[in-house]
Amino acid sequence: MKSLVKNITLSSIGITLRNSLKFRPVPISTRTFEASSISDAFAWRTDNNFTTIFKYSDILNIFYKVKDSWIEIHFFSKENKLIKKKKYYNLDLSNEIEINSDYLNGIESYGVFYIHHFSEENIEEDVLISNRCYIGYSHNQNLYSFVHGNTLAKSTKISYDGKIKSNLVKTSLFKNNHYRIQKYFGGFDKNELFFSNPTTKIIKFSLDNNHYILNAGCSKLIDIGVKKTITIISNCLFLRPTVFSYKNNYLDVHHS
Amino acid sequence: MNYFFNIKNELFDSEIQIPTFQNNGVTSKTINLYKCWPKNDCWIIEKIEKIEEAPEFYYINCNKNTNNEIYFLAHPEELFNYDKLKLKNFNNFTDTSPSYRANLKIFMHENAGFSSYQSEYPYSMISKKGTILSSVCSLGNKNADKNFIFIKNIYEKPIIDYFDAYLVNIKTKHIEEKFQIKTNYTNCIELDRELIKPEIFLVTKDYLGIPIYASVKNQHLSFEHTHPPHEYIFSENKFTKVAELKREINEIIS
Repeated sequence: MKSLVKNITLSSIGITLRNSLKFRPVPISTRTFEASSISDAFAWRTDNNFTTIFKYSDILNIFYKVKDSWIEIHFFSKENKLIKKKKYYNLDLSNEIEINSDYLNGIESYGVFYIHHFSEENIEEDVLISNRCYIGYSHNQNLYSFVHGNTLAKSTKISYDGKIKSNLVKTSLFKNNHYRIQKYFGGFDKNELFFSNPTTKIIKFSLDNNHYILNAGCSKLIDIGVKKTITIISNCLFLRPTVFSYKNNYLDVHHS
Repeated sequence: MNYFFNIKNELFDSEIQIPTFQNNGVTSKTINLYKCWPKNDCWIIEKIEKIEEAPEFYYINCNKNTNNEIYFLAHPEELFNYDKLKLKNFNNFTDTSPSYRANLKIFMHENAGFSSYQSEYPYSMISKKGTILSSVCSLGNKNADKNFIFIKNIYEKPIIDYFDAYLVNIKTKHIEEKFQIKTNYTNCIELDRELIKPEIFLVTKDYLGIPIYASVKNQHLSFEHTHPPHEYIFSENKFTKVAELKREINEIIS
């Protein structure tokens, strides 16, 4: 009986109900495939004279001594259209990819990408890795400002069966989740918030009196001007935007 | 509970913003910010006053060497049992999900570039000894004019203990550089561009800490921390796997 109740409360519907009623809410669940890797939703920018650099480690080699691992990166537009899939083999312990408009078929825009680790080797069944990685943003060809991944989004089996699991971040039926960014935004010339929807659900959110909708996998860059503090009200339990703050041609990027 | 800190070296000043509200919107009007620092084997404590312009934040500007100071939020009554010999876990105000953010910003001077990161130092790290393991290539930037690694240690006892940090090549199993750093301090080492390679790791002996990387080019800055290795593994065996890796690297520095 106990295990039945546990299974119900941990089911997708059970978690949505808990989150809607704010009864022991579950922001994130990493219950996933056996032997899998989890990717954040990483923001890329090639708009407005931005380039992005992505740094990732060969986690399977570093921690599990797997020598044949490879990665696959899936790039999506801000409307969640697949732009390209790229595989990388012969990984070093630490690797980097520069993402500019040439790399993305001439696209000058923004969106998200995901990294998936794979291997042919037999990996222990309970292995669950997450590559938080580091993403640098360069504006007008200046120094990259780095930030780590901050939204768990998708998981894949390390043994590569082509399936992708989403919805690690949980939602509610109602816009009942308040997230106030703990930063004073006063004093900057401009501040932008980069939102991505790491789920397959529709996310509705408000910034003060402005209302937005993010469809599954979509992303949105919002100029908040010079507001001093920001509160996000949404039906997502982990909607943590990346912050781009500008002053005197200098840029600071960090997660909120 | 989290402690906070600032940074100062010959190039950078810093400013830390510590909010008195949680990220779910709950504000405490009675919580205070205190700073403390080790002196004569005691933790000296002092209350910090809030500035009026931003009543929901504490601001600390660091333009002189205060690399031994740390900060924490507490209600006055929580300090009744303040122990000058050991840091304590006073409250859970900063234990939130998503993580509580204090914004630590470095800058070269008022009209130059700036960069910030989320700078909490969890209490759970203060009471433990251990080793840092950080991939230099993750955040080091070969194209920058200069790269620095700040290594912040906070230890529960008010002691200044010197310990070693190394840049280790894990392929050749060779120590490339060795530095002496100290407890209860924001240490800074300059990173040689030639050592920004995938096989080079920063390792410490004896004490934990947070490695934070700063790069500078043409007055533009980048500032970010690396994750501790166990954050890359979610499975139950994560501490075993990390211990195996650390054991392997400790053999190089032993």
